[in-house]
Amino acid sequence: MEKIDKIILGDNQFFGINHMSQQKAQQQAEKFYDINNIFKVYDNAINSGINGFMLNSNDRAKDICDHFKNNHNYDNLNWYPSIPYPHKYSNLIAEKGILPTINSVLFKNNTASGVIKMLTKGGSALLQNDPIKMMNLLIDVEMKMFKGLNVKVVFLQNIITDLMLGYGVKEVFVEYCNHIRKNYNATPGFISVNLPLLIKRFKEWEIEEVVICTSYNKIGYFMSPGRKEYEDIVQNINPKKYQIMAMSTLASGAIDASEAYDYINKQNIQSVVFGASSKKNIEHTVSLIDI
Amino acid sequence: MKNQKIRIGVIGIGRMGITHHSIINSNDKVIITSIADPSTFVTSLLKRYLNILTFKNYDDLFNSVQLDALIVATPPHLHYDILKKAAEKNLHVFVEKPFTISYDESLELSNLFQSKKLINQVGYVNRFNDIFKEVKLLIKDNLIGDILQFKSEMFSNTISQNDKSSAGWRATSKSGGGAVYELASHAIDLVNFIIGKPDKVVGTTINSIYSKNVEDSVCSTFLYKNGCFGTININWCEYSYRKPANKFEIFGSKGKILADQHGLKIFLKESVPDKGFKEGWNIRYITDVFTNASIDVRGTEYTHQLNHFIDCIEDMSINNKSTFRDGVDTHDVIKNIFINNEQNKL
Repeated sequence: MEKIDKIILGDNQFFGINHMSQQKAQQQAEKFYDINNIFKVYDNAINSGINGFMLNSNDRAKDICDHFKNNHNYDNLNWYPSIPYPHKYSNLIAEKGILPTINSVLFKNNTASGVIKMLTKGGSALLQNDPIKMMNLLIDVEMKMFKGLNVKVVFLQNIITDLMLGYGVKEVFVEYCNHIRKNYNATPGFISVNLPLLIKRFKEWEIEEVVICTSYNKIGYFMSPGRKEYEDIVQNINPKKYQIMAMSTLASGAIDASEAYDYINKQNIQSVVFGASSKKNIEHTVSLIDI
Repeated sequence: MKNQKIRIGVIGIGRMGITHHSIINSNDKVIITSIADPSTFVTSLLKRYLNILTFKNYDDLFNSVQLDALIVATPPHLHYDILKKAAEKNLHVFVEKPFTISYDESLELSNLFQSKKLINQVGYVNRFNDIFKEVKLLIKDNLIGDILQFKSEMFSNTISQNDKSSAGWRATSKSGGGAVYELASHAIDLVNFIIGKPDKVVGTTINSIYSKNVEDSVCSTFLYKNGCFGTININWCEYSYRKPANKFEIFGSKGKILADQHGLKIFLKESVPDKGFKEGWNIRYITDVFTNASIDVRGTEYTHQLNHFIDCIEDMSINNKSTFRDGVDTHDVIKNIFINNEQNKL
């Protein structure tokens, strides 16, 4: 399996996401309302030696993608998209229901080539009998904005990964991996806050050579069923089969950065994704990560 | 119930039904044998991948399958009929909030399930949120003294545009839609859970923003015989919120508490050293009080609430933390909110 970047800049800070403080999230949302402020952060990260970037396929990500596609100075960057943008679906489903949501996402103002073909064949009614095809089309819709960027790993968001993990449906995971490898020439990735259970199932299902991005921090925050179970399983993981990317390493700021990375640096982890906005914080974090 | 798996059916496979199904599916103590939902799209998907019986309507499920317990996540106007039938079959029931769409129906069901000694739980999930559990504990311990005043706010971006089609059950109050049943019920239950049920509802205003047939926002004042009062302020068209936010502010004789799902801030007039609180501001983050769960699908509180339901079925001596009776209390307040709104119309 191709090795992933050791240090990756995440994107939560750009989109008003902060698990610790609604107030901080609000301040960030205001600051990054001007997309140029986002690009400044990327430049600072690149100057600090960061070459990998995770980006969720939300409404604003398209403009970010376009910016990096149109400037050849950025051709060497590695991208780690995460799909889908969960709140788009969550709100639509609450309003319309599940099938109308899928219809709306797939068939409204959409020019993804597979979608056009489906439309001529009868649209979503046909998809009911081919859920994997439907999933693949949804992936293609989400991935459209990343076309032209150097995509290393495509992550499935935890809201989907963990829902499907609860259901224990092997086929969804297997087919997701197949589609990502075949159509995007990228490594399949899964974001999860249930790493021990996910690894257990992947071993049963013989799913290998994937990247798992999971919350990993000294206080066990967002680590179900618990930190000890995480440590036990990660200690024995073969990185040729499963590369682990740690997220929430500071537990949304509950842990001091040096203390947080002292802990992370001792774990059998291949990569860290972190969110920061200021030049100082980015440089400081990069200096602390030694995995 | 020990030594054998609890047989569960799920009625209503929408957004919440899917979440509950996924969570409970990973609990070793239970087996989900059957689901019912009119959407063949969703049921056929689940049937394809899970070893499960599927039904288009719940009567067929009741007539065909032997169960021990039921998870109900249909639109609320169907809950009454489903729960009556569940009681006839002696099933323990977890039902999504707001329980039913009337006080009278809720009271009847609560009495029925109590008399039959069946476990009954309403999905007021905030009762299982680590922050709100902590707030409840601190208030019970008298940390901020007598409660004098409070405000409970909930904002979400659930209804995001003019509802041209008026489709979906959320668009009519007859089926249990509207911001009062859907969103305010959470805020009201939190008030009942943490402060206590109000003695009187005054100053209510209900308004529509996008919806044609239901309310989108509500503001109301709750009075207590001991002199305490508080307000609720709810809006589910709040486009500036990425996801639902719940804020609670409680002012007491010895201090005040500001809480949301992420953390709490406590201001104390005097320090309480034995509990680790200093004079002035004290901050407790979610990371200070969180508990992990067996699986986290959508926040651990969703897992905690369903595991609690299963624990109560396994050990009938455990007191359920969100009973139908609690649901009745919320409906009592909701009833008075609607009555008061009519009285206040210009």
